[in-house]
Amino acid sequence: MTGFQAPNVEWLTLSPLLVVFLAAVVGVLVEAFVPRAQRYAVQVGLSLAAMVGTLVASLVVFARLSPTADEAELGRVVAAGAVAADGPAVFTWVLLSVLGLLSVMLFAERKVESGVLTFAGQAAALPGTEAEREASTRGLSHTEVFPLMLFAIGGMMLFPASNDLLTMFVALEVLSLPLYLLCGLARRRRLLSQEAAMKYFLLGAFSSGFFVYGLALVYGYAGSMGFAQIAAAVSADTGSRALLLGGIGLMSVGLLFKVGAAPFHAWTPDVYQGAPTAVTAFMAAATKVAAFGAMLRLFYVAFGGNRDDWLPMVWAVAILTMVVGSVLAISQTDVKRMLAYSSIAHAGFLLTGFLGIRSLDEVAPGGLTGVSAVLFYLTTYGFTTMAAFAVVSIVRDAGGETTHLARWQGLGKESPLVAGVFAFLLLAMAGIPLTSGFTGKWAVFAAATAAGAWPVVVVAVLMSAVAAYFYVRVIVLMFFAEPVGDGPSVAVPSALTTVVIAVGTLVTLVLGIVPGALIELLGNVGVFIR
Amino acid sequence: MGPTLESFGQDPVWVVILKAVLVFVVLVLLTLFNIWWERRVVARMQHRIGPNRNGPFGLLQSLADGVKLALKEDIIPKAADKVVFVLAPVIVVVPAFVTFSVIPFGPEVRIPFTDVVTPLQLTDMPVAVIFVMAIASIGIYGIVLGGWSSGSTYSLLGGLRSSAQMISYEVAMGLALITVFLQAGTMSTSEIVNAQAGLWYFVPLLPSFIIYVISMVGEVNRAPFDLPEAEGELVGGFHTEYSSLKFALFFLAEYINMATVSAIATTLFLGGWRAPFGIAQVWEGANEGYWPVLWFFGKMLAFIFFFIWLRGSLPRLRYDQFMDFGWKVLIPISLVWIVGVAGMRIVRNEYAGQLDQTWLFVAAGVFAAVLVVLLLLPERRQPEPEPERAEFDAFAGGYPVPPMPGQELPARVPTGATTHDGGND
Amino acid sequence: MELYTPILALMVLALGFAVFSVVVSSLTGPARYNRAKLDSYECGIEPTPQAHGGGRIPVKYYTVAMTFIIFDVEIMFLVPWAIYFDELALFGFLAMLLFLVNITIAYVYEFKRGGLDWD
Repeated sequence: MTGFQAPNVEWLTLSPLLVVFLAAVVGVLVEAFVPRAQRYAVQVGLSLAAMVGTLVASLVVFARLSPTADEAELGRVVAAGAVAADGPAVFTWVLLSVLGLLSVMLFAERKVESGVLTFAGQAAALPGTEAEREASTRGLSHTEVFPLMLFAIGGMMLFPASNDLLTMFVALEVLSLPLYLLCGLARRRRLLSQEAAMKYFLLGAFSSGFFVYGLALVYGYAGSMGFAQIAAAVSADTGSRALLLGGIGLMSVGLLFKVGAAPFHAWTPDVYQGAPTAVTAFMAAATKVAAFGAMLRLFYVAFGGNRDDWLPMVWAVAILTMVVGSVLAISQTDVKRMLAYSSIAHAGFLLTGFLGIRSLDEVAPGGLTGVSAVLFYLTTYGFTTMAAFAVVSIVRDAGGETTHLARWQGLGKESPLVAGVFAFLLLAMAGIPLTSGFTGKWAVFAAATAAGAWPVVVVAVLMSAVAAYFYVRVIVLMFFAEPVGDGPSVAVPSALTTVVIAVGTLVTLVLGIVPGALIELLGNVGVFIR
Repeated sequence: MGPTLESFGQDPVWVVILKAVLVFVVLVLLTLFNIWWERRVVARMQHRIGPNRNGPFGLLQSLADGVKLALKEDIIPKAADKVVFVLAPVIVVVPAFVTFSVIPFGPEVRIPFTDVVTPLQLTDMPVAVIFVMAIASIGIYGIVLGGWSSGSTYSLLGGLRSSAQMISYEVAMGLALITVFLQAGTMSTSEIVNAQAGLWYFVPLLPSFIIYVISMVGEVNRAPFDLPEAEGELVGGFHTEYSSLKFALFFLAEYINMATVSAIATTLFLGGWRAPFGIAQVWEGANEGYWPVLWFFGKMLAFIFFFIWLRGSLPRLRYDQFMDFGWKVLIPISLVWIVGVAGMRIVRNEYAGQLDQTWLFVAAGVFAAVLVVLLLLPERRQPEPEPERAEFDAFAGGYPVPPMPGQELPARVPTGATTHDGGND
Repeated sequence: MELYTPILALMVLALGFAVFSVVVSSLTGPARYNRAKLDSYECGIEPTPQAHGGGRIPVKYYTVAMTFIIFDVEIMFLVPWAIYFDELALFGFLAMLLFLVNITIAYVYEFKRGGLDWD
């Protein structure tokens, strides 16, 4: 251990991450020292400030990337090779900051639950006991959800930017652990929520185990954790191929679990249904962005050299995921479960875009690469799904959210605005023109076709049609069916949820009509560095 | 200079076996002696005489007890998990012996009647102190398994308490050791002893030493921290159901562990086998040959006397106070102290000469004073709930019970002649 | 490996002694069992029936165990840092300070929210 050189840390480039983590740590201190009555205001203020701060910082870093400059330098590797702040990474930072900002607003909603958070008053109290009732009457709520969410956001931002396997694993755990906890904190239907948390935790821990095992094998193959060194080893093709392929397989299990791709999708419906709806929205939008970002980097940067080995695997997984998600969604009777299966189907579409991998010299300048297409799709899907879950959170009856589809009958008569917005979002998910869903699908299909994955695209188009069926079915239900009993009621949310729904819907509309600017931007920055 | 890491791993096989047997025999004899010593010293402190029948001064008392235990009935309770029940004492005893393999008893010596030169230490390794902590932790398994497998409520609770207690104090102990590693730059026991050739570490690292001594008492379940064996609550704790030599094995392990933590304290803070200050200065040969064994055992037995003294003079702590002390007092102090030591070292290494040494000491003094003041500040307490004014009924539960704090005994004479002020303690 | 083999010698000795004691004690002592002797000892009263599956143990012990693991891992990170402290110099000191502050914040949270109270 001689000649130790202190590594150089580029604080400015890392500032978006640092802001989030610092705010999360301060949030923990707030929990410890601020009196209970003031915690809500302080935590919400802190979280909003943190998300705005990280958005600004991300934009500054993004601007410094100078994507239009002549030189090919599109970002740099910082923090002693641990983090790559290149175009795709910084774009996901921006995207995650915005989605995080919206999530904070959803989390902070108190009006629909008449003055308390939609999270458990006292998570340690057993469901249905005197202790729970007491916590409820005293109006307790866990404001820890805000620091937890900030930690998760921090992990998510680090995940797609990590430039070596260890950083990637740490980021994976940092983003996962708070999510496991958040899933179990629903105020209503607590047993379902706790079951969801338990399932998610056990399966998630299991998949992390797969990831680590694969990590060890890849390290054994390449002799290094860094993606650049792994890529060099892969193109030199030295070492045992069995190690490499085993490593790729095991690591992809871990990552495909996180994105919810079949056959590792089984947790998704249960967890999406049981988790508090705000958390579901956050997970559905942000986790997918982070996990796909990381997957793109791992496979494109580290394993790009032997893509002929793993592309067939992704083909199969993409087709299976789309089929499973779309077909199983048809038989669902619960809105949250249906949206969960729809998110599985969307993971399949994203994997289709993932197949658009080509060498840089094959792509025309400014043309749509797989990376750009997936990032664009993530943007459109993130906003749409977040708004959709926000709508779910305000359709309620006396027992809390009413997620059974039968209770949604006649929503169009009760509240045409809410039903109309939800219908629009569903149409976007189905991929109807003039919505962002259409442009997103068009982008990934185009990228995949250009790379020669047309059979997958054919399946994807077919499955889009199947998916359209169950989306439209819900719309028919809302507008053309008679309400059962006294029908659903729509709680009037505070400005927070309203803003989330409005922003999500607006982005869905704008990206559907004028997607050009964003696609062009992504075409310029959608290149990984190593 | 004493032996370094290079001195080890070169012994012929017979030397290794000889040393292993010696360590084993020394530990067994030491235990027999310690039990006798403890009983004699505690007896003196309580104005009794103590065992004096078997052998000179009663020295063979422990041996007699051992033989007696061997002849006692060996009971495995019906509710016990047989395999684990029998295995548990073995799991406790083996690590207790093994930890002593890295304790340095002295420098390199020539074995009499041969030409072989070897360090007075079974072996050493770059991670010796961590090895001791790791192996000692395995002993906790034995205690928990013994308590669980007995199938008895008292044993289970005793085993749980014991493990909770040991892991709680292990944190403080580990943190106290960090500063020694910082100072010595190594974890090998022989090299730590070498590093103390000038100044024994208990002087510059006094807080660490104090924390270590406190936590070592907690670590081996000795008075005043002997809660796992609190007779009034748990009968014998985790070994309630053990009898005969299986019980003796637990007893043996407890006394060996006491010797182990004492030996570690000697090695890390009191210069190991080095002669006490003053002797080596006037007598050249004090740190050579077999003499250091004397110093080593002298220091170790002093620690064991300290253990006995504590037992003779202190009452047992309440469990919550005990856990509070470990988690809320020892750990924060250790953390602050580590940062302090590291900071001092950084200042010394990086800014040597630029900074007046006196300022350092002034800063340290101020810091220590602030710390002491903070510790002495009375804790802010919630106002005590008003004592219940309800009439105390001693027979409410069917059995006669004494009053709780705050409850008043009904006056026996209704005229109000007794106006005691009980209830505000 | 030479450094570790002597430990094996001592371990064999200790294991032999322990196994010998366990075996001997079952041979030398008398064996006059009766029901009361084989029951769990509860100071002479009828033993409490054992709950099925071992029963429930206060959750307090788990939280202590979890806190212990966090601190034990912290110690394991501190150890190599302490050994190489002089080489790591100021950067190592500041990095470890950051780490300790983070752990301490979690500790403070647990402290203030009553996680360390034993009732």
